[in-house]
Amino acid sequence: MASVGNEHHHSNSAIRQLSIGTAIAHHGELVQGVFEDDRGRLHRGLVTLPLTGLRSTARFQLQRHVPLTVVPNEKSKALRAAGLTLALLGHDRPGATLHVESDIPVGHGYGSSTADVIAAIRAAAAAVGTVLPPATISRLAVAAEVASDATAFEAEAVLFAHREGEVLEHFGSSLPPFHLIGFRPEDAEVVDTLNFVSARYNAEEIQLFRVLRGLVASAVARQDPGLLGRAATISATLNQRHLAKPHFDFVMGYMDRIGALGLQVAHSGTLFGLLMDPVLPSNAPVFGTAKAELLAAGFSHVEVFQISGAGGFHGIRY
Amino acid sequence: MASDIDYFRALETPRLSALGSNLVAAAFPMMKLMPARFILDRAEKAGELSSGGRIIETTSGTFGLALAMLAAARSYPLTLVTAKSLIDPPYQKRLEMLGAEVVVLDDDQGDGNQAGRIAYLHDRLEAEPSTFWTRQYDNPGNPHSYARLAEMLVRRVGRIDWLVGCAGTGGSLCGTGAFLRHLFPDMKIAAVDTHNSVLFGHKAGRRMLRGLGNSVMPGNVKHNLIDEVHWVGAYVAYRSAHRLLREQGMFMGPTSGAAAIVAEWIARRDPDASVVAIMPDEGFRYSATVYDQNWLNSHPGWTSTSAYEPANLTTIEPRTERDWTRFEWGRSQKPSL
Repeated sequence: MASVGNEHHHSNSAIRQLSIGTAIAHHGELVQGVFEDDRGRLHRGLVTLPLTGLRSTARFQLQRHVPLTVVPNEKSKALRAAGLTLALLGHDRPGATLHVESDIPVGHGYGSSTADVIAAIRAAAAAVGTVLPPATISRLAVAAEVASDATAFEAEAVLFAHREGEVLEHFGSSLPPFHLIGFRPEDAEVVDTLNFVSARYNAEEIQLFRVLRGLVASAVARQDPGLLGRAATISATLNQRHLAKPHFDFVMGYMDRIGALGLQVAHSGTLFGLLMDPVLPSNAPVFGTAKAELLAAGFSHVEVFQISGAGGFHGIRY
Repeated sequence: MASDIDYFRALETPRLSALGSNLVAAAFPMMKLMPARFILDRAEKAGELSSGGRIIETTSGTFGLALAMLAAARSYPLTLVTAKSLIDPPYQKRLEMLGAEVVVLDDDQGDGNQAGRIAYLHDRLEAEPSTFWTRQYDNPGNPHSYARLAEMLVRRVGRIDWLVGCAGTGGSLCGTGAFLRHLFPDMKIAAVDTHNSVLFGHKAGRRMLRGLGNSVMPGNVKHNLIDEVHWVGAYVAYRSAHRLLREQGMFMGPTSGAAAIVAEWIARRDPDASVVAIMPDEGFRYSATVYDQNWLNSHPGWTSTSAYEPANLTTIEPRTERDWTRFEWGRSQKPSL
């Protein structure tokens, strides 16, 4: 769950001197495309792959007679999000300083920017004694950031309309368990996630996304990582037609070679992820082999995450 | 349209029913609503069908009824072109009650007069160029509409190993099949056809079992998706429909009977596989025929026994209405005729 805390209390007020909010990273999307809402209208949407091993932490210090400021000052979206949160909760003219620290790498599809924004929203809400529900946090994040991801929902698997901050479908559980081998090309360029051209999907692709949505729902309901891996692979392949990643064919071939359940990508970032059978022990030789081979093939930041459906996600970094 | 979101969407939605431990059937009240609604929605969005514009199609089947229901609800004039040997009076009345103009052409040969119907349709298109022709045989919207069925099946079943369905226009079987094969590349597809249909290499002839098969080759039939073909005779299909009613309480049309007997055979032969079958419509339209003992007895070939398994063909050729045959198609291209 969201960790929202505070370090000092005013004895006679809900206003806290220092409050903290944290938010998780993600490893891109399992599926991304366009999907119908329950009235038949199409929305861009995605299923996020959350990573709890990487976090952004926001500290919110209420102070009189100072403007609302953020440190470091390039985290202006987090600042805007904190301001919007306080306005929503009826605190229009607060003085405060927001400190944002994060161990999430920027620009590679880990959702660093959204994590900063969500951490700031949680910290600002905590400052006035409130814990906001994920749906509200998501809408605030979208308002502050143009587009967002579903990490406000933490381990709960949802189909999320990232432009509007609305949930199109609650899949009813967390994702099924699997190991994830994450990596990216060494020569990867930082992607500006908000300024790339949106994919224009054709009629057949839009219909295929409908079926992929059913496949994700089925994977979650059955806790079957094989079905989830298949959905991820198809979405990644479709994405190649719109925002082609270098080295994709190599990675697809490598997926087959090591017997992965599927290939997942950050659709607008640079990350690749191979979904591996959850019954493998975490020290199985295949992980060491994969790491060596992927490094030799010119990839970097090869990391293995253990993603478990039992009681939520437990990101273990190697 | 608001009405669409509710009733038509519900009416096109099949019940998913287990017919065995490894067999799930999608039993439609009226399957053709799915492509009809999708094609009209898309034409409206693309501006090919403007408010009050005429819709035209050549059909004698339930696609016409689906169009008639949607056209009535959305206030479009509709023309359906058919032939004398293809249409029965109660069905024509039902279409006309919905406000459709039903044009019945002569066909002295009793072969459906396909050429005459197409020529008439083109004359009408020329006379009224704003008319929208739904083209269910070739419109990619027909197969695309079945993504909704594929989604439902995947939610219900998870991994699918076999898809069994009737082929007529190719829309339901090849549409559902193409989407599911994206998900499960090893999934097998069995096409259910009937004797004297050209779809998989018989010569065109009189077909007693209606609602599947064809005397012409629609563009929406994608032969290279198909692993095996079953030709089910009318009597075999009727018996299977009767058995569905007696054993499962399912009151379905004869093409559903044909799909069921093939799917049950595949599910028995391959007990570890998960099999799904598409059942296109209900039995009401056939209460005076398939479900009428006197009507059945009036056919000299009608018997109370039925085949339990298909005969494997080495040469593709038609048999009698009592016969059920099978051929391993092997995802090959179009048959040479």
